[in-house]
Amino acid sequence: MPDPAPGGAPPIQQEQQTAGGERLLVCLDPSPFSIPLIRATKRMADAQQAKWFALYVETPSHDRLPPENQEQVAQALYLAAKLGAQAVKVSGFRIGDEILAFARENRVSKIFVGKPYARRWRRFLGTSLVDHLIWNCGPIDIFVISGEGEEAPPAAAPGPRPQRLLREYLLAAGGVGLCTGLAWVLFPYLALRNLAMIYLLTVVIISSLLARGPALFSSFFSVAVFAFFFVPEYYSFALADSEYAVTLAVMLLVSTLVSGLTTTIRHKARVAREQERQTAALYEMSQNLTAINSLEELLRVAAEQISRIFDSRVAILMPRTEEKLEIRAGFPFADDDVREGMVAKWVFRHGHLAGAGTGTLSAVKSIYLPLIASQQVIGVLRLEPFEPGRVLGADSLRLLEALGSQVGLAIERENLSRQAQLAQLQIEGERMRNILLSSVSHDLRTPLTVIAGSASSLVEGEKSLDSVTKQELAQSIYEEARRLDRLVHNLLEMSRLQSGQAMLNKEWHVLEEVIGCALAQLDSQLHDHPVRIDLPTDLPLVQMDALLLERVVINLLENSMKYTPPGTPLEISGSLQDQELLVAVADRGPGLPAGEEERIFEKFYQVSPGSARGAGLGLTICRSIIEAHGGRIWAANRLEGGAVFTFTIPLAEGAPPLDKNLPGDAAKT
Amino acid sequence: MNPVILLIEDDPHIRRFLRASLVTQGYDLLEAGTGREGLALAASRVPDVVLLDLGLPDMEGIEVIKQLRAWSGVPIIILSARGQERDKVANLDAGADDYLTKPFGVGELLARMRVALRRVGPGEEGKQETLHHLGNIRVDIERRLVFRDQEEVHLTPIEYKLLAVLLKYRGKVVTHRQLLKEVWGPSCTEENSYLRIFVLNLRRKLEDDPTRPQYLLTEPGVGYRLRDE
Repeated sequence: MPDPAPGGAPPIQQEQQTAGGERLLVCLDPSPFSIPLIRATKRMADAQQAKWFALYVETPSHDRLPPENQEQVAQALYLAAKLGAQAVKVSGFRIGDEILAFARENRVSKIFVGKPYARRWRRFLGTSLVDHLIWNCGPIDIFVISGEGEEAPPAAAPGPRPQRLLREYLLAAGGVGLCTGLAWVLFPYLALRNLAMIYLLTVVIISSLLARGPALFSSFFSVAVFAFFFVPEYYSFALADSEYAVTLAVMLLVSTLVSGLTTTIRHKARVAREQERQTAALYEMSQNLTAINSLEELLRVAAEQISRIFDSRVAILMPRTEEKLEIRAGFPFADDDVREGMVAKWVFRHGHLAGAGTGTLSAVKSIYLPLIASQQVIGVLRLEPFEPGRVLGADSLRLLEALGSQVGLAIERENLSRQAQLAQLQIEGERMRNILLSSVSHDLRTPLTVIAGSASSLVEGEKSLDSVTKQELAQSIYEEARRLDRLVHNLLEMSRLQSGQAMLNKEWHVLEEVIGCALAQLDSQLHDHPVRIDLPTDLPLVQMDALLLERVVINLLENSMKYTPPGTPLEISGSLQDQELLVAVADRGPGLPAGEEERIFEKFYQVSPGSARGAGLGLTICRSIIEAHGGRIWAANRLEGGAVFTFTIPLAEGAPPLDKNLPGDAAKT
Repeated sequence: MNPVILLIEDDPHIRRFLRASLVTQGYDLLEAGTGREGLALAASRVPDVVLLDLGLPDMEGIEVIKQLRAWSGVPIIILSARGQERDKVANLDAGADDYLTKPFGVGELLARMRVALRRVGPGEEGKQETLHHLGNIRVDIERRLVFRDQEEVHLTPIEYKLLAVLLKYRGKVVTHRQLLKEVWGPSCTEENSYLRIFVLNLRRKLEDDPTRPQYLLTEPGVGYRLRDE
């Protein structure tokens, strides 16, 4: 549904319409006749598949209309917007000029107006609006439509607040009276024209404070009083000199003009304030909603903001399961009236505004606005004014709808960004799985080949094999199975670390013990590599997850064994540096290719692809684990040949003391 | 009479390989594929050792342990996967005696079973050995003396107590909690770091290479074990 622009400067910059096609404009006025006029234009627009506008020119007199007529205008604009028109309200002084200016700016080809009532449209220098349009329209066609029920006289203009109006007239008269008193005192000292100035000032002040009627009254009244008291002949309306007639005429003209201008300015200011308020509300809403990236937060902010704009309790309802609507944000309405829930459900199903003051299902206390995202109703906004019984006018409804569609858009945007994120994750996950599968299947196959081959040799060569060979075959089956186990374990660890499920189980641990466990696990592989361990005896306890750290040491040792010739020694050393524990695993192998020191920690990276065993996961896991501990890990070549892998673990405060005076152990045997 | 082993394990391949190894080693084997079946067999045949897989189709392993422990003190050895340290500890606390991490070698399994069987062997209950040998280490419980080769090793009272507890359960895993409870008392079951420091010191006094201990073994995430001969 197109939003009626909240008013103001109208050029509407939508060019999506039928190129060179018809553009229709219907002019609205504050009467019930606007409704059939809109329907007639709508039929015409449909027949010609034309874009159409509905325009209401808000003149200063709009303010003085009785509320039901103002309401009629708003309803008419609202209906037009519902029927597909671009509904626009502009403020202006001269209806005819505003209509034509709008029509030219939007390249309207046909203008529809209602058949004029003598009184209502007689605004333009005594001629009717239709006359004015016809004279000035240029190439635009003017259609005059007569309504059914035309005879019904339009609602009489003033009517309301007679008491207030009377009070204002009295105030105006009082103001002129005061001015006369002042003029009486100053009369001996001032020239006549200066006294006239005092009266003019009074008229300006009155016009700036009171309505148009009293203002106009004050200008006439002040001229009359001035003429009676201060223009010779004194105390009479008779003029001593015909020149005074000019003075009075000019004074009357100036004062009426000034009072008219002043009231017009006030009107414009009011309209501008209203427009400013609506624009600000929309702008603030869009500002607030763009910065948010969770749905819950978004709903909360939207509900709060709409609640503030309309002085109402606001809740946003969305279906959590199937059809059942639940309050997701805002005021927690607890209803005793089942009809409220039924209206909410109706709105959710039909996507139409309904509830109090909307003309649809209005027997409830709240207004229900559908929230639409991706062309479907995703929720309902419920609004109930703080002040019981207050009904929102159609202007407010349009603002509410504009805000509602902003919320819908924001939800849609949020949904899309979440979907995009998910899709990205899925693609990434898919890619990782593919690499993993191809890499792992290779790495699994190698030990499996050894196991299957050795086992089948044992099965088939039962008689021919000597016991030493049998023993060797069985041993290699065992070792390869252990290797497979470690590989599977690494894979599991990897997926745990990557999915963020791995919770560090940090305790105070002795590094020596952790290294010992790693060595014990690798016992059968290590017979080809003598391991030298160099740990200071006074290393403090370190906060770490021992099982994960054990994995780091195992992976580093396994990596070194993989890339170094049998018989070369491995060295593990530990030291303290600044506030860190530094552990290095060094070998005497060929070292790392220059420039590869960083890449080897990447997932599935292998120095010479496909040649050596291991999925290239080991070092990646090491990095994940060490980084989870807040440490660093890096690789380098040793000056004397070979590679060294170093990692750090930050030392934590409050390590248990290493000395022997521990609780319960004071005395020695 | 051969010792009777009850194997509760749902995987037929693992059952087959265990059957092959255990029967040739002279054990009588009872097999159950589910927890319920296992509990029924345990009641009717009264096995000497129960081997319990943790991934049973019908019930949680810990449930089997609890139901078994309600009426029987038969040694239970858990067969579990790696990375389930918390489960292991929970099961040991629930009454299991020891565990084996899959994949395991038959040698390891037989060693565990020997320890378990010895504990319930005739005349063992209640009677404490007074002289222990750990390779070149000799422990005289009665005189509270520890010798390495011929040299006396000075242990602090806690270190000695720790060693004595491990000796009492020799060959069997002892959880951190159990060690703390038996050495420091029931109020002190969370201070694993003290335990680590004492084990470290004990290793430095007894082991040839404290980083690659031969006797005082670490069971990662679970506790300690003193190597059986």
